Amino acid sequence: MDTEHQSQQTQVGSEFEREPVPRNALLGFKSFIGMYAGEHCAGTELMIGPLFVAAGVSAFDLIVGLLVGNGLAVLSWMFLCAPIATRRRLTLYYQLEKICGRRLVTLYNLANGVMFCFLAGAMVTVSATAVGVWFKFPMPSLNDLYPNSVGWVVAVAVVGGLIAIVAAYGYKTVAKFANVASPWMVLVFLAFGFVGLRQFIVVTNSEIHSVGDVWTLAKTHIWKGGEPLPGQVKFTIWHVMFFAWFCNMAMHIGMSDLSVFRFARKSWYAIATSAGMYVGHFMAWISAAILYAYQLHLDPTDTDVLPGPLAYRAAGLAGLLCVIIAGWTTANPTIYRAGLAFQALSPKSSRFKVTLITGAIATIAGMFPAIAMKLLGFVALYGLILMPMGAVVFVDFWLIPKLGLRGSYAELSGKTFNWAAGLAWFVTLAVAWVLVRFANVQIFFVSLPGWFVAAILYIVLSKFYQKQIRPVAAK
Amino acid sequence: MCRILQIVSLLALIALTLPSVIFLAGRMELDMVKWLMLLATIVWFVAATPWMWKDNGADQQDAS
Repeated sequence: MDTEHQSQQTQVGSEFEREPVPRNALLGFKSFIGMYAGEHCAGTELMIGPLFVAAGVSAFDLIVGLLVGNGLAVLSWMFLCAPIATRRRLTLYYQLEKICGRRLVTLYNLANGVMFCFLAGAMVTVSATAVGVWFKFPMPSLNDLYPNSVGWVVAVAVVGGLIAIVAAYGYKTVAKFANVASPWMVLVFLAFGFVGLRQFIVVTNSEIHSVGDVWTLAKTHIWKGGEPLPGQVKFTIWHVMFFAWFCNMAMHIGMSDLSVFRFARKSWYAIATSAGMYVGHFMAWISAAILYAYQLHLDPTDTDVLPGPLAYRAAGLAGLLCVIIAGWTTANPTIYRAGLAFQALSPKSSRFKVTLITGAIATIAGMFPAIAMKLLGFVALYGLILMPMGAVVFVDFWLIPKLGLRGSYAELSGKTFNWAAGLAWFVTLAVAWVLVRFANVQIFFVSLPGWFVAAILYIVLSKFYQKQIRPVAAK
Repeated sequence: MCRILQIVSLLALIALTLPSVIFLAGRMELDMVKWLMLLATIVWFVAATPWMWKDNGADQQDAS
């Protein structure tokens, strides 16, 4: 999964923060393919694949769930996000400011920044597991919520501290390094899968003569289904499908990638996201899952999800480097962006200091393995929290004008807090919380009804709000 | 020069992947796979860095 969206266009990106991207700055299809393919092969993929296995997923549920869920994610980019991006050609933040007003966007930034911080913490956790291979300190187990050894705390502090300092000083250097590392990382992930598969063939004495034989091995030994490991939620095909669809919800349905696709000549370029989905969220998850399933096969009591040792056993030092680099290159921009989000709350504060403080928060978060070990639930929460604003943008663009209302109402009315949008956001989250808390709906499934709740609320509330608050010119 | 580095980089990526494919086919030991992958990794970063080192920035998604 990936949280970062960087593109080659961004050399010019900052020029168009508050204006539509001009025609001469638009980018071709290939730019988007490379960008998405590399960026969705992140350190956290090494957690997610194994967590599927820990959740007791079966081979059919995993493969079909991922195929369908990733397809739905691609369609969400193509039909929800990109059409608005290529028509308006504005960043999400500027568009939200026009609709919601500056103060509400500030609140959105805060939520975004906090979530980025925790996500970066999970990435630091992943990288720190590689350090444990060298220094042999006790590392957290699957159900650990708190740091379990001094060695672990020191390792996370060192790794997180370095990432934070680099993010504050030389963010762009790491962005360039990530560019170089990206194709290499994708292929190391592929190698993980091949090595793990062979190890399974050997340890189970399987005879492989056809694809059917591989499938039999997959369903009888790798993803056997059945009960999840203690403390884990059981994953069915629906869980896998919805997780794959919504793990990048903030980006597609939540409209974060308006900022990316505003540079696309055509909205169908969003099909390039399939490169990211089927490389990172299919191949990489499956590869990482195979490694963990092999570990469980050898010793069912060894349930620790530790990307460092997993990768080292499969690919030696190259694998270990992959874990460190995957965690580092993705945590770095995440910390940087979280810093930017926080800085928007206090524009006069130094970006350097804010990024350092943000990195420190992410590092402390990374010491608590709860975030990484419960990453499936956390990622679902991350999408859910930001999703309602995506529904607001969608409704404001497509439906509000057709209903006799006015779009971009904060800009029209000169208000800094559009209560219709704000309440749509808060009430949707409250409804989602009630569904999870009292109706036993799992967090993986609340975002879908949540989107409709947010959309309907925004329409209804806008009817009232626009009657009460008049546009500046009409006053 | 750039062209040569690009070819070497491509070969490094092939060398990175091929050992695991041969291992899958049961024709190579895992230790050898690990060494070859490490070697290919070093070659990749040495050869690819000069021509791939460009700014892909993240500012466009600035939360500001």
